[in-house]
Amino acid sequence: MTLFDVIFAGNDAVYGLTEGAINDAIAKYGADKAVSFPGTAYSIPCYYAVTGTKITTLGEMKDALAVIKTLMGREQELNDALFSGVATALLAELIEVLKYVDNENPYEAPCAGHLPDPAIRELGVPLVTGDIPGVAVIIGGAPTAEEGAALVKEYQAQGILVTLVGEIINQCVEQNVKMGAAMRVIPLGMDITSVIHVVSVAVRAALIFGNVTPGDAAGLMKYTAERVPAFVNAFSPLNEVIVSAGAGAIALGFPVLTNEDTFAVPMNLIPNVPVEKMNAASLEARNIKIKISKIDIPVSFGSAFEGEIVRRGDMQVEFDGSRVDCVELVQMKEPGEVEDHKIEVIGPDIDEMPVGSKQQIAYVVEVAGKNMQADFEPVFERKFHSYMNCIEGLMHTGQRDMIRIRVSKEAFEAGFRAKHIGEVLYAQIKNEFGSVVDKCQVKIYTNGEECTKIRHEIANPMFIKRDERLASLTDEAVDVYYSCIMCQAFSPSHVCIVTPERLGLCGAVSWFDAKATHNLDPAGPCQVVTKEKLIDERIGEYEDVNEAVRKFSQGALEDVSLYSIMEKPMTSCGCFECICGIEPFSNGVCIANREYAGMTPLGMSFPDMASMTGGGVQTPGFMGHGKHFIASKKFMKAEGGVARIVWMPKDLKEQVAANLNKTAQDLYGIENFVDMIADETVTTDPEELVGWLTEKGHPALEMEPMM
Amino acid sequence: MPFNRKLQKFSASINEVEIGTGDKAVKIGGQNVLPFYSFDGNIGNGAKVGIEISDLGVEGMPACIQACYEGCTSFADIAKKAASFEGVDFLALSLEGGDPNGLNKPTDELIAIVKEVADATDLPLVVEGAKNAEKDSELLAKVAEVLAGKNVLVMSAKEENYKAIGASAGLAYGQKVGAESAVDINLAKQLNVVMTQLGVNANSIVMNTGSASVGYGFDYTLSTFDRVRAAALGQDDKMLQMPIVTPVASETWGVKESTAAEADAPEGWGPVEARGISMEVQTAVACLASGSDAVILAHPVSVSTVAKLVKELV
Repeated sequence: MTLFDVIFAGNDAVYGLTEGAINDAIAKYGADKAVSFPGTAYSIPCYYAVTGTKITTLGEMKDALAVIKTLMGREQELNDALFSGVATALLAELIEVLKYVDNENPYEAPCAGHLPDPAIRELGVPLVTGDIPGVAVIIGGAPTAEEGAALVKEYQAQGILVTLVGEIINQCVEQNVKMGAAMRVIPLGMDITSVIHVVSVAVRAALIFGNVTPGDAAGLMKYTAERVPAFVNAFSPLNEVIVSAGAGAIALGFPVLTNEDTFAVPMNLIPNVPVEKMNAASLEARNIKIKISKIDIPVSFGSAFEGEIVRRGDMQVEFDGSRVDCVELVQMKEPGEVEDHKIEVIGPDIDEMPVGSKQQIAYVVEVAGKNMQADFEPVFERKFHSYMNCIEGLMHTGQRDMIRIRVSKEAFEAGFRAKHIGEVLYAQIKNEFGSVVDKCQVKIYTNGEECTKIRHEIANPMFIKRDERLASLTDEAVDVYYSCIMCQAFSPSHVCIVTPERLGLCGAVSWFDAKATHNLDPAGPCQVVTKEKLIDERIGEYEDVNEAVRKFSQGALEDVSLYSIMEKPMTSCGCFECICGIEPFSNGVCIANREYAGMTPLGMSFPDMASMTGGGVQTPGFMGHGKHFIASKKFMKAEGGVARIVWMPKDLKEQVAANLNKTAQDLYGIENFVDMIADETVTTDPEELVGWLTEKGHPALEMEPMM
Repeated sequence: MPFNRKLQKFSASINEVEIGTGDKAVKIGGQNVLPFYSFDGNIGNGAKVGIEISDLGVEGMPACIQACYEGCTSFADIAKKAASFEGVDFLALSLEGGDPNGLNKPTDELIAIVKEVADATDLPLVVEGAKNAEKDSELLAKVAEVLAGKNVLVMSAKEENYKAIGASAGLAYGQKVGAESAVDINLAKQLNVVMTQLGVNANSIVMNTGSASVGYGFDYTLSTFDRVRAAALGQDDKMLQMPIVTPVASETWGVKESTAAEADAPEGWGPVEARGISMEVQTAVACLASGSDAVILAHPVSVSTVAKLVKELV
């Protein structure tokens, strides 16, 4: 027998039962006898939602049977199987409503049976907000009562709403599981047909919260699949009726997991799941993410502890990357390679280390997710510093393989151990990056050999690879740029276009950051800007970029170029790390950084230049930018590039020297270009500047005039 | 050269949102012109004026306003009195006493007040929260539930709690939802985007894009209104076409111009009541002139003054 045959057989059996039950009821009460569920404005809800027809009498139920029959196709194809499943569910609902004829309370405690509308409104709100992260439907009896109760409690602890059908109810009673709506465990009934009462909840949620029109079956199924995070755990032995009802669940988008060895339908019908893995497998199948509200560590956690210093005398142990091998790393893995919330300590724990000693540590956070990208690894990694410092009694400095961590005696005495580092990283990564991280595990190595291996054989090659990618990433190599409007609160018309070779003018938003921000918060400040319609390659002007700038500046800006300071320059908010302005005598530009307090050869200080440049207006000849942009090959590319730089404060020069020299070497073959750039120790007088530049043979003097 | 009048025509318009039921229901928004530009096109339903009372009762009001409620002993009395003042289009009930950092009144106690006020008036009702996101998610969800069928406006859905308030007020109980953001067009838009993604109908949302008293950073408030309106009408930005409701009283009655007793104030400031009304009216009119579709005021004289101005201009 195929899976389809089983579904069809179960469907036929339920059809026969329903038909018989309706006929019996009509014989007993007459066709005009009214039927309804108590406390709902949605008639017989599932039937009403699927067909748009309200049933009020036994006679109309008979008509409904004919309608349901039309769903029961018998071709060996998925569509017929799914709709036969839906038919089984609708038939179950008819059987259930008959129980309410002349009987307000056919169900006895603890079973709830039909749930009225107010209960659904009450449950619906936490479902929509995610306070109830999922709905479990457990059918049948677990191999033992202990296992059944343990599974229910596992869901309960995660805040998941659990509904029970059949033997599992007795098992929970036997094991004294607290039940009731307030406990989020609702026993529905002993018969398999009572499962319809939870389906009815999902269906009415779609009508109430989703504005789905009754009769719009496709809209209904779309809503339940996308918005109702329900799933089914059906215990062995399964029969045809259960399988057929399961097909109905699958039609609504609810995966079915079972411990029985039966048919498998990837993502939908998952057999052979051991009871102890049922919870994790169900959450994964339905893509449910549990918010971690409390991190399981023996000390406090919060930004109040971020600036805390652990002094040598108060220190239990120190991990010092400058002396021994230490490293922190995020690695993207395949979903199969990561077991969520697995935290391993490999090597001695803190209580096995001599007090006050210097130790090595390497912690590797392995993440997997459908929307995860390797480019996010360094974005997560950069947050470790803040996460670790938020732990009471722990101090963290540095990054990559240059970290130093001190654990205080007080934290140690409170019970803080190596695994708690893992707990913190796990919880924070899942909470902050949950939209891209589905699973996360942490490995903490503390023995010397392993740490050396991780640092030199795994982490360092990875860091080199990342740095190379960053260095080789050009504007031409990517398909999209990103807009950034984080500063619009105080600079209403400013829009940054962030490209690989031109980071945000604040210096804090690289192309990778903007990309990650967009993926984590799709409605947020960074949006994708395509670059398909090139207007002018020389100045870097694109029709798509202009459209984006118009849109995000609410029409204040018409067009911008990416690579010119003279033609349609990009605007500045006020956060610029540096300002570059043209210096007419030398045909070049002067750059001042925010920290520089003195005068420039333009006759202006940084604040003077800032007042000309900020506020989201285009000022040809002036441009705000990040420090890293100075060494970019796209820096004023339209006007000839970095060769135009004639003056910079000495401090800034030192910061950018290595990269800028390399760029000048690559672009013009000039060696030690930075030595040709004047600074405040040379002069701040424009005439003296030209004299000095002539002496040095600065290339700007020979270039086309900028104006 | 003769004056050649040019109409500023926008193809987009502000959403029309109805609050309340029956004869007294009010509609706000609906226009496709800048505020009061009746010479350019359809001015919609015109600006509306609400009067604010709170769970703190008469005692919670500034002294000069207390006098207007003399003899009121219950919340029902206060509500009826407030509704009787000239020019009042709707009633706004603030639940500020629920703030956990203040009186921290329990939800049940506040809900009893909400019901009492709702039963005492047939005017449309606007309910403002406790100015605490966590408390509001529980409190305002309950408000939406007990006022089911009254088509009230539940304010104070913020970034932190829009799901709870949007789901209960906007989805479960079919009320209107006020999306509150902090004086920033992008935050306002973002909140509308996520609220509609949650499933709340765009036509059930109004905005509170921030508020301030004149002279207290008020220009930021105004420029946000300007920009929201420009984007909504000029660029047909659907996620900014919600009407704006601005609580004014809660801002203006706290500043020194409205509170300093005549004896303590600099010479020439005059009586405190006149100053309070003046601050409230100036703020309200500036809000309406730059984009608010409704303002919430406290002093009956302010209400009647602003209502008269609107009536004369529309």
